[in-house]
Amino acid sequence: MPAGSLQLLAQGAIVSLLLAASAIVGGTLLAIVLAVMAFSRLAAVRAGYRVYVYVVRGTPLLVLALLLFYALPALDLRTGPYIAGTLVLIIYTAALFAEVFRGGVLAIPRPQWESARSLGLPPLAMFRKVVAPLVTRYTLPPYVNVCVMTVKASSVLSIISVWELTLAAREIIERTFAVFTVLGLAAAFYFVMCFGIDRLGRRLERHLALRGFAGERA
Amino acid sequence: MGFARWAAIYGPTYATGLAWTAATALAAAGGAIAWGCVLLLIRLSAGRWGALGVDGYVQLFRNTPVLLPIYLIYFAFPMIGLPWPAVVCGALALILQNGAYISEILRGSVNAIDRVQFDAARSLGLAPWNTFRKIVLPQVLVYSIPALGNQTVLLLKDTSLLSAISITELTMQAKLLTEQTGAAYEAFIVVALLYLLLVSGTEVVFRASHRAVRWR
Repeated sequence: MPAGSLQLLAQGAIVSLLLAASAIVGGTLLAIVLAVMAFSRLAAVRAGYRVYVYVVRGTPLLVLALLLFYALPALDLRTGPYIAGTLVLIIYTAALFAEVFRGGVLAIPRPQWESARSLGLPPLAMFRKVVAPLVTRYTLPPYVNVCVMTVKASSVLSIISVWELTLAAREIIERTFAVFTVLGLAAAFYFVMCFGIDRLGRRLERHLALRGFAGERA
Repeated sequence: MGFARWAAIYGPTYATGLAWTAATALAAAGGAIAWGCVLLLIRLSAGRWGALGVDGYVQLFRNTPVLLPIYLIYFAFPMIGLPWPAVVCGALALILQNGAYISEILRGSVNAIDRVQFDAARSLGLAPWNTFRKIVLPQVLVYSIPALGNQTVLLLKDTSLLSAISITELTMQAKLLTEQTGAAYEAFIVVALLYLLLVSGTEVVFRASHRAVRWR
């Protein structure tokens, strides 16, 4: 393997991590909106949520990525692969995060709702003091899972020519034929990122644990 | 262009893609479930080192994207004297990756089996292999049907990645059509609908089989 390959792979890993990070931030924000839609009083809004989740989870990420990659320039939006790639990752992770959040809200024990209401908490306070803290703790493990999936999913963007870890590896292989070394190193980079996120998530879980509350989980 | 004309021109292209996607997904899903059973058997029977080995395997595949084994097998097998067709390489990669997930699903279901059954099997004098084959595996597979359905859907969607190693499945056909016709998104929207159809069909099959074999 020629000198400099390791640096290229490390740069690719940083790009992958940045892609995943922006998708996680954007996806979480969009997912909060979607989760609110899921509990709307209007049937049409709830249906909108279900259609979004059904379509995004029922189509491969690559198809969504190619669709945006080819369709955005046709709509006169000269965005390039990075914007299209980040956008599609946000759309994709938002569907997964939204389902996680929805499950978390459904897991809130009924007495919590009743006591919040009987205390006369206004809606915003109810969200801030009751819903948000509980949902955060309920959903942390699946949330971290989706974050790990996002890092892995970012590799798909290499096919729409987003230069990140997988595309860096493919380019080096096509030049040097050092298949095992390069893919082994790429795998090691992915492993460190994904495993690291998983461990961080577990530490956060312990940090956020509420004493004496675990048993009340519905 | 009317639908009839459109279907006459592009129908065969989509049909080819659909056939490749369905065949690859079906073969890979079968292989992945079998490989997951083998990994479970190793974990349960090969002692501490066996369990440790399976754990390492599962962690490795869980924390790396599936494109890497796809490229690894596709590029490396010809170099080590195994010039297998691309579709076999791709299916093998999907089997290796999804087998890791499936072995974890099955492991979760082993815990749902009442411990008393293991004592009963031993008191009947069943050999370990027969206990696994006749007592553990059938129950584990039935308990796991919903989770296996989810995993199969993920596998089905991941067959789209095989377009990266030049397999002419649905996604590749859409890409070719887009580049040939210059129509920006029509081909991908049709293909997305076809995937939705396949995914929904898979879910229906797994739900029906879950209902059919659920005992008690």
